Amino acid sequence: MTDRANADTAVSPAAAEGTGSSVMIDLIELTKRFPGTQDPAVDRLTLQIPRGEIVVFVGPSGCGKTTSLKMINRIIEPTSGSIVIDGEDVTTIDPNRLRRRIGYVIQQIGLFPHVTIEENVATVPKLLGWDRDRIHARVDELLDVVGLDPEIYRQRYPKELSGGQRQRVGVARALAADPPVLLMDEPFGAIDPITRTRLQNEFLRLQAELQKTIAFVTHDIDEAIKMGDRIAILREHSHIAQFATPEEILTQPANEFVEDFVGTGATLKRLKLSRVREVDYTTDALTGRIDEPREVLRRRLHESEWTAILLLDADGRPQRWLRGPDFLHDRPVTQLGLPARAFVEGHATLSDALEEMLLGSAGVAIVVDNRGSYLGILDIDDIITSIQTMRDADAEFHRAAKLVDPLDEVAE
Amino acid sequence: MTPPSRTPETLDEARSRADTEDAAARRRARRAALVHYLGMPVVLAGVLLALYLYVGGQELDSIEARTLTADNLIGQTRQHIVLTVYSTFFVLLLAIPMGIVATRPATRRFAPAIIGLGNAGQAIPSLGMLALLFYVFRTTPGLPSTGTVPVVVSLVGYSFLPILRNTMVGLDQVDRFVLEAGRGMGMSNGLVLRRLELPLAVPVILAGVRTALVLNVGTATLAFLFGGGGLGQTIFSGFQLRRTPVLLTGAVLVAVLALLVDYLAGLIEEKLSPKGL
Repeated sequence: MTDRANADTAVSPAAAEGTGSSVMIDLIELTKRFPGTQDPAVDRLTLQIPRGEIVVFVGPSGCGKTTSLKMINRIIEPTSGSIVIDGEDVTTIDPNRLRRRIGYVIQQIGLFPHVTIEENVATVPKLLGWDRDRIHARVDELLDVVGLDPEIYRQRYPKELSGGQRQRVGVARALAADPPVLLMDEPFGAIDPITRTRLQNEFLRLQAELQKTIAFVTHDIDEAIKMGDRIAILREHSHIAQFATPEEILTQPANEFVEDFVGTGATLKRLKLSRVREVDYTTDALTGRIDEPREVLRRRLHESEWTAILLLDADGRPQRWLRGPDFLHDRPVTQLGLPARAFVEGHATLSDALEEMLLGSAGVAIVVDNRGSYLGILDIDDIITSIQTMRDADAEFHRAAKLVDPLDEVAE
Repeated sequence: MTPPSRTPETLDEARSRADTEDAAARRRARRAALVHYLGMPVVLAGVLLALYLYVGGQELDSIEARTLTADNLIGQTRQHIVLTVYSTFFVLLLAIPMGIVATRPATRRFAPAIIGLGNAGQAIPSLGMLALLFYVFRTTPGLPSTGTVPVVVSLVGYSFLPILRNTMVGLDQVDRFVLEAGRGMGMSNGLVLRRLELPLAVPVILAGVRTALVLNVGTATLAFLFGGGGLGQTIFSGFQLRRTPVLLTGAVLVAVLALLVDYLAGLIEEKLSPKGL
């Protein structure tokens, strides 16, 4: 929770640099009625996307989420309603001029198969009339940003790339003219799970730097929770079932529809939102230096309440777990007990930590800093306590919400 | 070689392996194409040589000798080529824009009418079409009654459909997500057509052009009936006068010309098709 709140305040200075408003995309009563259909596909969708945030549209198939997204750059022209981007009403301006300011990434990627990767990425800069040198430099920069070596990939054709690489090019192409707004329609939907996770993580890291305003469509609630600063859960006709932060969606589903959509395991999903450093993990566990005399270590363990002692090397990196009986063996300390495993860093999610614990044999995870030095021990009890705290906080929030109007963070 | 269960990471490897296999396949294909493209002229030269030796070995009577002069044959071949080139040029000028019109959302409703026109052009037997046009040209004041013009018009009508159809198919088969990405980046409809749709349709359109060219070489053998000249003259003289060497010379020359045109069109097709497809 605090992590997200920090992210929000971090956005504010950027917002102040713009036109002053914290809202980047303002959708007002947006409606789409396809010819020959009774019901509108999208019915009076009103939504504000704050500057620098990722807002995820998620919902069951056929709910109108993709239609809603495609009305923002008017690939699908709205029947009524208006779109305001950065304070400018763009509902009736020249759509081509509008689209050059909005990055567009689709699941099928749509790379131009007959031109090179370089020419693909250069599409919008060319339309905007940039000169050759600037375009060339920008293409190299972007390929670098998305993790493709320009020397290798610049002159290749799309069919020579793997699916993951193509989607990287798709993202580079969308970012080419540095548009303030990105629309992403299931961008990682057609990619194998491991590559998808990698691309999601890379994209989040990139977004932390770029601070684009992003509308992101997915049908996968887990992806929504992972990628979204805010999530709009949509039901039929793009009616908003709930528009809130991932935490709120998971802890205070607004209605049964949201509850069903989030599905079981909301608590497990919440573990993905809390980080190890936010948890009160043990920092005073029993440790010893691996080069200390064996007898000193044994006595220390014996005199403590701990059942095991963690041995660290000279740089403080955890090496081995030793229990009492281990000292009975007549071997050097470096070969006694069990090797230390299940390391997590502070920014790891509790979900990651839990997985490490279950994989490691000790039933605990060792918290280390980015150089691998020991910081503390995360116990499974710590995670249970953390879950309990979340529940209590939610109950508290619910009581408070009944007394005062709920704080509407978006409308401010 | 293939692991029983593939993790996505080995999938990537598999992809790159497939890529190198692709590259090897492409090299093989290129070598095969080279053999093909060198092979055809060699074969055609061989056929012409055989024809020359055969005719040279015959005792030619006066009629045969008069028909089979170099001047005659070269002149007729030139007329034949001129008819083919003109008709192909004009049919491209007509059929490709019509194909574009028939696939634009705003004018797509004209597609059935345009295709109907093309169908009629090809359904009418070529001799019938020539006769009809010949009649129309002769009875319309101000139009030349014989010669190149009515023949070219007729050839255009005859080869309209393959080019129209291939233009439409070529434009329709372009991946719609490629077009959506183009539009989504702010390319106007004209730019999408010029930069994406037409280049991506080129291989299919050119296949149609190739078909049309070969059709035109064949149909142009009828041109002499209406004063258009061409190699048909030699074939029919040989036929009517029962002079096998004359008949054979005309027929072989037309066949060689058709194959040569097909071969050249193939080269152009390969040259103009965008890389990366």
